[in-house]
Amino acid sequence: MTSISISQRARSKEAAAWFQWRTIGPILGRVLHYAVLIWASMFFLFPLAWMIGTSLKSIEEIGQPQLNLLPAVPRWENYVKLLSEESFYRAYLNSAFIVTMVLLGTITSVSLVAFAFSRLEWKGRDVVFALMMGTLMLPYQATLVPQYVMFHHLGWIRTFQPITIPGFFAGGAALVFLLRQFMLGIPKELDEAAMIDGANPLQIWWHIIMPLSRPAVATISVFLFVGQWNNLLQPLIYLQKPELYTMPIYVAQKNNLQESPIPWQDIMAASVLFVIPLLIVFIFTQRFFIESVTLTGTKR
Amino acid sequence: MAAAYRLQNIWWAIGTVIFIIVTSVALGHAARSVAKWRGLSQAEQRKVYWGFMFAGPWIVGFFIFVVGPALASLYYSFTDYKLGEPMDWVGLANYRQFLLGEGAHGRRFTQAMFNSFYYALVGVPLQIVAALGMAMLLNKEMPGIRIFRMIFYLPVILAGGPAILLAWRYMLATNGGFINITLQNFAHSFVLFDYVYRAFIYVVESFNGFYIGLTRGDPIGPLKYTLPAILAVLFIAPAASGDWSHNKKIAARRGAEIIGLIAFFYLASKGLVLDPIDPAWILFGGLIVTLGILVSAHNGRYVAVRTWQYASLSAFGLSLLLTAARPDAAELAGQLIALGAVVALVAGSFLGGWSRTKMVAFGAVAVLLAIGLFVHLIPGQLDGGRLGIIPAYLSFGSTIEHPDDLEYLKEIYPQDTMSAMWFYGLAAAVLFGAVLLDGKHPRARKYLLYGGLIFFALIALSSLLDGIAYFRAFEEIAAAEGKPVYHFSMFRNAIEEFPDSDRLPMWMGSELWSKPALVLITMWSSGSGMLIFLAALKGVPRELYEAAEVDGANAVQKFFKITLPMISPAMFYNVVIGIIAALQTFDTIYILQNTQTESSLRSAAYFLFTRTFRELAIGQGAAVSWILVIITVTLTVFQFRYSSWVYYEA
Repeated sequence: MTSISISQRARSKEAAAWFQWRTIGPILGRVLHYAVLIWASMFFLFPLAWMIGTSLKSIEEIGQPQLNLLPAVPRWENYVKLLSEESFYRAYLNSAFIVTMVLLGTITSVSLVAFAFSRLEWKGRDVVFALMMGTLMLPYQATLVPQYVMFHHLGWIRTFQPITIPGFFAGGAALVFLLRQFMLGIPKELDEAAMIDGANPLQIWWHIIMPLSRPAVATISVFLFVGQWNNLLQPLIYLQKPELYTMPIYVAQKNNLQESPIPWQDIMAASVLFVIPLLIVFIFTQRFFIESVTLTGTKR
Repeated sequence: MAAAYRLQNIWWAIGTVIFIIVTSVALGHAARSVAKWRGLSQAEQRKVYWGFMFAGPWIVGFFIFVVGPALASLYYSFTDYKLGEPMDWVGLANYRQFLLGEGAHGRRFTQAMFNSFYYALVGVPLQIVAALGMAMLLNKEMPGIRIFRMIFYLPVILAGGPAILLAWRYMLATNGGFINITLQNFAHSFVLFDYVYRAFIYVVESFNGFYIGLTRGDPIGPLKYTLPAILAVLFIAPAASGDWSHNKKIAARRGAEIIGLIAFFYLASKGLVLDPIDPAWILFGGLIVTLGILVSAHNGRYVAVRTWQYASLSAFGLSLLLTAARPDAAELAGQLIALGAVVALVAGSFLGGWSRTKMVAFGAVAVLLAIGLFVHLIPGQLDGGRLGIIPAYLSFGSTIEHPDDLEYLKEIYPQDTMSAMWFYGLAAAVLFGAVLLDGKHPRARKYLLYGGLIFFALIALSSLLDGIAYFRAFEEIAAAEGKPVYHFSMFRNAIEEFPDSDRLPMWMGSELWSKPALVLITMWSSGSGMLIFLAALKGVPRELYEAAEVDGANAVQKFFKITLPMISPAMFYNVVIGIIAALQTFDTIYILQNTQTESSLRSAAYFLFTRTFRELAIGQGAAVSWILVIITVTLTVFQFRYSSWVYYEA
């Protein structure tokens, strides 16, 4: 008799427990947590959404103050108009060209230098490496002005050279450092075995280290791509000629055309097309960004 | 057309690759020759050869793109170089112009530095709060958290380029912009929100109006002392109220830091004395050096004594030389003599050993210097009349007795206000007492510290009240001081009336709102700070929280007592990076500015850009870039130097 009543009480307690704070608290907390996360995400995503929405509006819809994210009828004509502009193509192609050149030059030279700092042992290595790490402290302004004078004397103003050529000299100590850290983790026995087989360091670099460093190379490629695709300052300084405009200047100067009302739908359409490669790269490689920060503790 | 440029670029790239290969191989050979000459083994030589060859691209680039340009830039910074014009040596004129804010460009630069300072002062803390909030939201293992992390980080990628900034510009439009419409809807939805909205406008406009007035050098009356005083309380309080007993070294360093802070804020309240011969500098420097030598000699650390001697001799000697070379040196004869006396004093300390008599003599000199500094800084303070101000201040009484009397406001008031020295003298006294009582009388020490801080706060509050009285009569005062253009009128307008609900934030339409708009965007894209915080949060041991829970700590306590101290290195890192970024902001300003707000948005980097690449003043641009480099490198070194300290203190 008593035993039954105890078990019954236990069962009723179990049922009642659902309403108890201890059980419902975490669930509620979790729901609240998600709500806050979603609300914050809206704040972070909104400018992007507003950009896309505006790019599909008509100039009349832009003119009247309203809060509709999307227009009643999406106007794809905005994009058609943009795609028929020669200057747009040219800017896109210029950007793609510069990014390719920078990636090619920088990746090759950076991987060579990182190889020297991680896989080779030579007298003076530590001094040179310390020197390189020291340049990390220098802000970009340190050499911006004199480089301009130098490129001016070389006749490189209004050409692509000032932006693409410095990359061939292993520009970016942070990139070298990142790659070096990765290369240090590759087992030493691999090189030693190759060395015994009579391979020289150049062959080791190309046949052994580079294939194994693919993840790190991909990481720095992504950084370089994002940095270069967004690069506004240097093109502004060096590419002051409409034929040479890259996408960032093309988009930025659309804003400076003193038209009234401001054709926001055109500006935003160009912006959307500008952002798409970034978005694609970021969505597939966001892991790299998050890992690299936790790895090196540095921005970019 | 463009295709030709691309082709040309490819040829140049091929040429560059050949150049790099040739120079790298040459470098390798050269290095091997050096190794051979130094008598290294065959194998070592081979290694050196390959090493330098592989590192060749960077080494060659380092000389072409870093060392060479840096030296050239240093040279240009002393000239009036403009592209296409002959170059003339102008000595320190460029630096002088920018550091002292002389001339139109000097003022532009000063304005830029003030803007950057605003981003550091207001933007960075808000950014830190945003980043930490984001990191704490994400620091929980929940399904889908990775997607949120990605979304929170996305703005960093986008904000690097112009596209999304243009979207922000559109959203920030004053009339019909998305943000203003949303804010209006929010305000109209509920009575209370209406007040929140109006209070928001009120606070932003007053604060920015005040900052604008401050940066344009308007007369600020009592606030000249109030502001540095409040800042001093904010900075000194946490440093002074910590535990002093467990480590002498840390205590000494902290004491030095507090003294340094007091000196800095004091000088700031005096308008940062720039003249190397100013008597305040001579006395202050002499006092610091004498104390330093005395303390080191007392502890028997003669190496430190030597360091003090050499460093101070070079500093004072430099100051002496700079001043003697000035055209108006004859007028400064008295001060030159004072400076010479300090030099002689320090030089004299080289002679002979450190006997007890010598130490006593040095102590006497220190006391004399301190009295001299005190008397110099507060003219007429020994006549007894000024002591009556203290009770007036502590009872929140105003010392401005005749706000309508221009003569009073112009002539007497600046002398009659609470002098800053009371403030900092008291700070020093509290500090001294705290150190003396250290360990033996913890309770008395605590009372002394808190009492001193309360005293500070009272004075700060009452001079704030004085400031309000001052601003009521501001226009008359400004006119009386011969400053017809005053920017504090914006501040006055802002505080005079509470805005009604039809008022809109002007964002890019007004200098009152342009900086807050920029801060909003940096908050939106503070994802990289978030990642650093997230990594730091993951590193906090779970056991600490569990132990605290056993002790019955609540969430707030856990945050302030465990989380915040444990992530202090990340915090410190983010603050320094944020300050550096505040100097270097460029893209955001380039996209968002218009003719109306350019001057109120312009950062140091933006000024460098316009002065060098739009106006082609290479010499001045080089000087600006060197100033920026020095600030940035100092901050970075500071960060490296102290990051461990923050951690250990935690």
